[in-house]
Order: sequence, then C-alpha cells, then structure tokens
Amino acid sequence: MASTVQNTDVKQKDADRAVVVAVTSREVFKSGPDDGGEILEIDESHLLLKLLHRVNERLEEENPEEPLLFDVILITTDSQRQQQSSRIISSTKHYGLEISRFCFASEDDFAESLQTNNVQLFLTTDRNEASQAAQKGVLSALLDQRVAISTSDQLRVMFCEDAVIQPDSGHTPSFAAQMGEMRRRFRLSDSPLSFILVTLHGGRDRCADSLLTLRSSGLSVDEAYCLAGAPRGPILSVLQPHFMISISSSGLEK
Amino acid sequence: MSLDPVQVMSGHAKELKVVPSSNGDSKGSWEEKEEFDQDNLGLTTKPIPPKPENAVTIAVSTRVLFRTDREQKVFEQKGVEEYLRYQIEHENEPFAPGPAFPLVKALEAVNARLRELYPQSEELFDIVLVTYNHAHVGIRLINTINHHNLFIERFCMTGGSSPIGYLKAWHTNLYLSADSEKVREALAEGIAAATMFLPEKQSEVSQSQLRVAFDGDAVLFSDESERIFKAHGLDKFFEHERDNEDTLLDHGPLKGFLEALGKLQKKFYAKGQRLDCPIRTYLVTARSAASSGIRALKTLRAWGLEIDEALFLAGAPKGPMLEKIRPHIYFDDQMFHVEGAAEMGTIAAHVPYGIAQKHNAKQNTSAGK
Repeated sequence: MASTVQNTDVKQKDADRAVVVAVTSREVFKSGPDDGGEILEIDESHLLLKLLHRVNERLEEENPEEPLLFDVILITTDSQRQQQSSRIISSTKHYGLEISRFCFASEDDFAESLQTNNVQLFLTTDRNEASQAAQKGVLSALLDQRVAISTSDQLRVMFCEDAVIQPDSGHTPSFAAQMGEMRRRFRLSDSPLSFILVTLHGGRDRCADSLLTLRSSGLSVDEAYCLAGAPRGPILSVLQPHFMISISSSGLEK
Repeated sequence: MSLDPVQVMSGHAKELKVVPSSNGDSKGSWEEKEEFDQDNLGLTTKPIPPKPENAVTIAVSTRVLFRTDREQKVFEQKGVEEYLRYQIEHENEPFAPGPAFPLVKALEAVNARLRELYPQSEELFDIVLVTYNHAHVGIRLINTINHHNLFIERFCMTGGSSPIGYLKAWHTNLYLSADSEKVREALAEGIAAATMFLPEKQSEVSQSQLRVAFDGDAVLFSDESERIFKAHGLDKFFEHERDNEDTLLDHGPLKGFLEALGKLQKKFYAKGQRLDCPIRTYLVTARSAASSGIRALKTLRAWGLEIDEALFLAGAPKGPMLEKIRPHIYFDDQMFHVEGAAEMGTIAAHVPYGIAQKHNAKQNTSAGK
C-alpha cells in the first residue's frame, strides 16, 4: 500500500503550475548496512537535486512569486526502502533537501503512485522502472550515472531517440512546453538549465524534424548534435547530460 | 540503414515549416512530402556516412562553410539574442557559400570517385559541421545544406561551449574555422587546424580535382629552421640546413593531413588512376631547390609521403604561383603570405603555429562563431 507524506520543512509548490518531478530514494540515499543509525548516507547523485534546486532558486531570483518551479517528490520503489520511511524523512530534513513530498511505494504500485501524484517526469537509473512508469503513461528519463559526480552547475537535459524506453505519446509535448517556458525565464548564456537534442541515427533531416517538433511544442533546444550512426560514447562523454528523455525517432508523437 | 522517406527527400531544396502540435502529423508538414515518389525509394537513398575512425574527417565551422557576415554584424552590434532572432526570421533563406565551400564540394567529388572504385570501403572524406552556434540556427543551417545539396549529415551545435572536445570525439583530421582562438586550441590539442577568412575575390577552382597546397616550414615541418632564420638571418639558415641536410626535419601540424590525403591517393593509383587522380598535392615553399629544399624533400621521402608538385620559390612571392595552381586550400603559417595569396584570389588558410606567430603584425583575433 503506497502512501504520500508532505515534507513540512519545505514550502509546497503551486499544484497547477509546478513541474512535478519524482526521483527514487535509491538515487538520493545510499543503501548501506542497516547500522540502526537514524540518518542515511547521501549518495553523490543528490547532485541532481542540487541542480533542480538551483533552477528553482534562479527562477525565484527573477520572480519571487514564480509558480513554475520544479516540485520534487522522493519515491521509494521497493518494499525494503518502503520500510525505511521514517529514516528517509528524517535524513531528508537533516540534509535540508528541497523535497516537498515523500511517496512510499513498492515494486508493485510505484507506477500507479506516480500517476496519482501527477508526476510529470520520473527520474531513475533503472531501465525497468523507467519502462514500467512509461507503460503507465508517465514520462520517464534515465539518469546518467557517470555524470552524477560531475562538477556541473547547469542541469543538462537531453532529448534522444531510445528504442528501449517507449516514448510517452501524450505527455511529452506539454512537458516540452513547460520546459520551454522555464528555459525562457533565463538568458541564452548563464542559464541553470540547458536542453540538448541528440539524433543518433538518420541524418540531418531527422534532426530537423525533431528540432521543429520540439519547437512547435514550445521548446527551442540550446544544443543539437546529429551523429548519423557514429558511436555515441565519445560524444556523450563530452556532452555530459544529466538525464535523457526518449523521443520517438519521428518526433514526439507516435 | 532504415529507408526513412524523410531522409530521401533532403536533396530537394524546399522550405521547412513549423509543425503545429495539434496537427498530429509527427513527420512535419514539409512541402515535398506530397511529391515523394515511392518508386525512387531504392535509387535515391543516401549513402551511410562512414565510421569516424575509418574516414578522413574534416570539421568545418559555419562561418567558413557559408557566408554569414551580415549575421555576424548583427551579433557584434546587437548581441546574441537579437542575432538568433534574426537567424530564425531568415530561416528559409539559405546562406551563400563561404571560403571552405569549394573545398567541401571538391571533397565530395573525390568521395564520389572513391565510392565508384571501392563501394564497400569507409575510407572516405567525412565532413562534419562543428560550430558553437546555438541550435536555434539549426533549421537555417540544415535548410542551407539541403539547398546546396551538400553531403553533410553530421554536426555539433554546441550552444556556446568549446567545440574542441567534440573534434576529438569525431577523430577530426582537419578543423577549419574563422576563429583563430579556436584554431589555436585545436592545434594545442594536436589537431590539424587552420583559420579561414572571407576573401575579397576568389578565383575559380577545379570541380573535379581536389588541390591542396602546403607551405613547408611550420606547416608540414616544424618551425625549427624558421627559428634559426628569424634569430640569425638568412646566411645562418642556409648554413644550418646544409649542415643538417641528412637530418630529418621534425613534423609540423599538417603532416598528418598530407598523410591522410596520400593514403587516399594510393587507392586511386591501385586502380591504375595515377594520371587521372582527383587529389593533387603541392608544396609551395620559400626554400630553394638547390640548397635548403633538399632537406625538405629528403624528409618527405623518409616519411613515406609523396607530394605531387614541389615548388621552391627561393624567396620569390608565392601569390603568382598559387594563382596558377588554384588550390581549394593553401596552408601557410605566416599571415603575410596568406594575405598576399588572398589578394590574388587564392583560398588561403592560416596555421597559427610556431615562431612566426610572435612576429605576425596583423593577426585575426575576431571573436564569433
């Protein structure tokens, strides 16, 4: 049975306008031996939370009343973690993480919980979880584990075609629209948020397609790379995206 | 390779349109879609680009491939936001060819010949557009590539970050840019690179034979001899060269590129096409044939590199000779020679390497893309 708890230490976000992002507790807290201690050890991947928080900070600098912010939910996706709920809550408060809600679920019902919490983007390093969530119609993105420890101060979001995770047909355009609006709050340089399009296969026309489709959804990407079949590894290691959102190879809608 | 109809039609120069998201047409409303001929699917499929490690990769920036001087002015006078707005406004207007355009066309002509002779081989030229333009300019660039029917399928628009990392990732054999700072960075990373400028006039060059001309010292060879010349004068230089005639010169930043050209030339020779080879290389040096030139030739021979024509000018001006050769690109480390060549309509590129850079009176330090 899943449950949702508010984090009373953090100001709740605007339910209509905020972009709800769910991150798994596995990405934030290390699962170590249960030494009985109350506070869990934080994982380097919490850098992602820092970057999301930084975007919010910069948005509020421009407009203290800004409703279009990231609303971060911490979700547990396995029963073992579900049992550590109180430790997760106290650890979150201990580190002062900007998490507005906790969702305690298990393997069986986490995808549904994402839905009931109106999650617009689910971030995980686990492909299976991402697929499950996508099947329930929740836009999912894979976190790049390598980049977790980078010294970046800019959240780098990559759009890319990926055969493994089914691209979400309904929600991606509206997510892109919100991201576009958020991006426009900042100037071209010195933005805490950057969007990247990578076309892995196919040539320039496929890239043009994706550029136009994203743009018509309201998002003009900052960087674009067309690989036309070249190996992706070397390019991605320079690019250093934090997570990757799958778009279908012929645009955002299937 | 998937036979995606969208790819097949890129050869046509048509306008792109913005797709309204409610349309539901995930492929965009390109005009040419209605004209798509199903029967031609097999015949007009574009060839797959080669793997970067197998190809001779030439990375070019937008300012050298195309003419963007008007846009450059907008950027310099009104800033980047206005510049991008201008670009998007003029999205359906293709850029005119820039200084590297004839070179790219010639590289494609060589590729066509190579594909005829070796249909399965990936030893080809691969042209990659590497720019630190923002992706907002992407549609206009793709439109322009389509308009001119260029074979460019790969690009990096880094949105302001340094392109150097990507050059390495693409196994770049030669990088051409209008920005001398970026060129220096590339050279420092061991990537052959040169700065190109918009010439006032440009002579016609061959459409069927790629011609590449190189200066010797500090381009193909190291700048060691130039250092002697600059420090101790011409007599000392001659003496030094004579004394060291049998010692190989050290290699310069463009040696690797000449080597890559040589490898492709040999593929034509192997098929009996030495006389008709669509690649021709030239050495245009101030050294003299009877004396200091000998060391240069011996070095080339020891490296196993052939150069088709070696022109020893013994200090005479290079301009008239280059005007006769009409190379698609001429590499020199001295701006004085680059400018002299350009005045006569030769496409010349500056290799900012070696001792000559400290003595360059006019250096191009313009910022931009």
